[in-house]
Amino acid sequence: MSALATLEENIPSLRRYAWSLVRNANDADDLVQECLVRALDRLGTVREEGQLRPWLFTIMHNLHVNRWRRAKIRAEIPAADADAEVSMPAPQPASLEMREVLRGLRELPVDQRQVILLVAVEGFEYSEVAKILGIPIGTVMSRLSRARDRLRDFVEGRTQPVLQRVK
Amino acid sequence: MKENNEEKNDGPVTDDDLHAYVDGFLDAGRRPLVERHLAAHPEAAARVVAWGVVGASLRKATSWKAREPIPARLDLGRLLAERRARRWQPMRVAAAILLALAVGAGGGWMARGPSLPDGITSIAMEASAVHRAFAANIAASAPDTIAQSQLTNWLIAKTGHKVASPDLSRSGFRLVNAQLVATMQGPACMYLFDGPQGLRITLFMRPMERRDMNAPMRPMHGKDTVGYVWARDGLGFGLVASEPLGTLHTLANQIRSEMGPPI
Repeated sequence: MSALATLEENIPSLRRYAWSLVRNANDADDLVQECLVRALDRLGTVREEGQLRPWLFTIMHNLHVNRWRRAKIRAEIPAADADAEVSMPAPQPASLEMREVLRGLRELPVDQRQVILLVAVEGFEYSEVAKILGIPIGTVMSRLSRARDRLRDFVEGRTQPVLQRVK
Repeated sequence: MKENNEEKNDGPVTDDDLHAYVDGFLDAGRRPLVERHLAAHPEAAARVVAWGVVGASLRKATSWKAREPIPARLDLGRLLAERRARRWQPMRVAAAILLALAVGAGGGWMARGPSLPDGITSIAMEASAVHRAFAANIAASAPDTIAQSQLTNWLIAKTGHKVASPDLSRSGFRLVNAQLVATMQGPACMYLFDGPQGLRITLFMRPMERRDMNAPMRPMHGKDTVGYVWARDGLGFGLVASEPLGTLHTLANQIRSEMGPPI
């Protein structure tokens, strides 16, 4: 398969990851578009076809970090953007678990959100996640533990929308 | 080696093992140990089951996004076309600026008055300026076939000439760049070739304005350039190199005979 075909094949999961990360359909596709533009510029530098998918997610991660830093500098973007939620055309999740897990995902710190999405949804190995995020594998594992335990509280109904969990 | 494996398979069960168990990355050798641990520790087993539910719920809750039709702005064909258009832009601007500088620095004819040189003289000046600008500064790259055919189509439409991307490979010259460039007399085409011993030559073509619609081939010397210029049926040609080159006259003759008469 050509690199271009592999790139095209990965667009749906790049969109899924971007949307899960930023939870706003428009911002997510902005991120994907920027990612594809960069990837097209440097597609020739990817030697092994198996490396293409992690490489794409690395580009996406770096773009996301840059945006996130810019947003932080502006410091005026609310953490839970009410307008963004309204414009999001996500279908109503069918089950309680799905609804709660999405709510939990939104409340996770972004570094934990990245790790659990890359492992549990995108199916990357831990070493690949470490490379994509540019962090040691031990950090990947500890973030994964925190994210999984936190989301467990949500799917098992131990969280209330406004109350913090009491340890 | 065997001892190491046994040691690895006997070490205490950690969170890392439990994750690997859930994600299907656990070593087969370590699996019995982890399973015994889970059987003996119900709270660990409940945690692992819950992690599985978390993962499955996340996948279900996000899968619709991956099944959604891809929006037009993420279409690869479209992104590739936009990218081509973007890559052309800076070179056009650069060419315009460099030509403006060349004109400003030319001095001689500028001093005679505000009128620009025209006819075959302007072809010689522009071909020389374009060669100096591009031959030294453009990295060899696979020429864009779409850019080439656009150039060719534009020339055919403009002049009615039967033109094609010139092929000088028989003489050992390889096309490495093809661009539309700006001149004071309107747009022109330039083709850059790499030859033996790192020699670079530029073929410059522009529709003639007013004078010298036909002009016999003559040698030209510019600042740091040598070459030949001619015009035929309203199309002006310049073939330019940075130093005298024995084969340049032959190449010019070949191009003149191949760049055919009007259709």
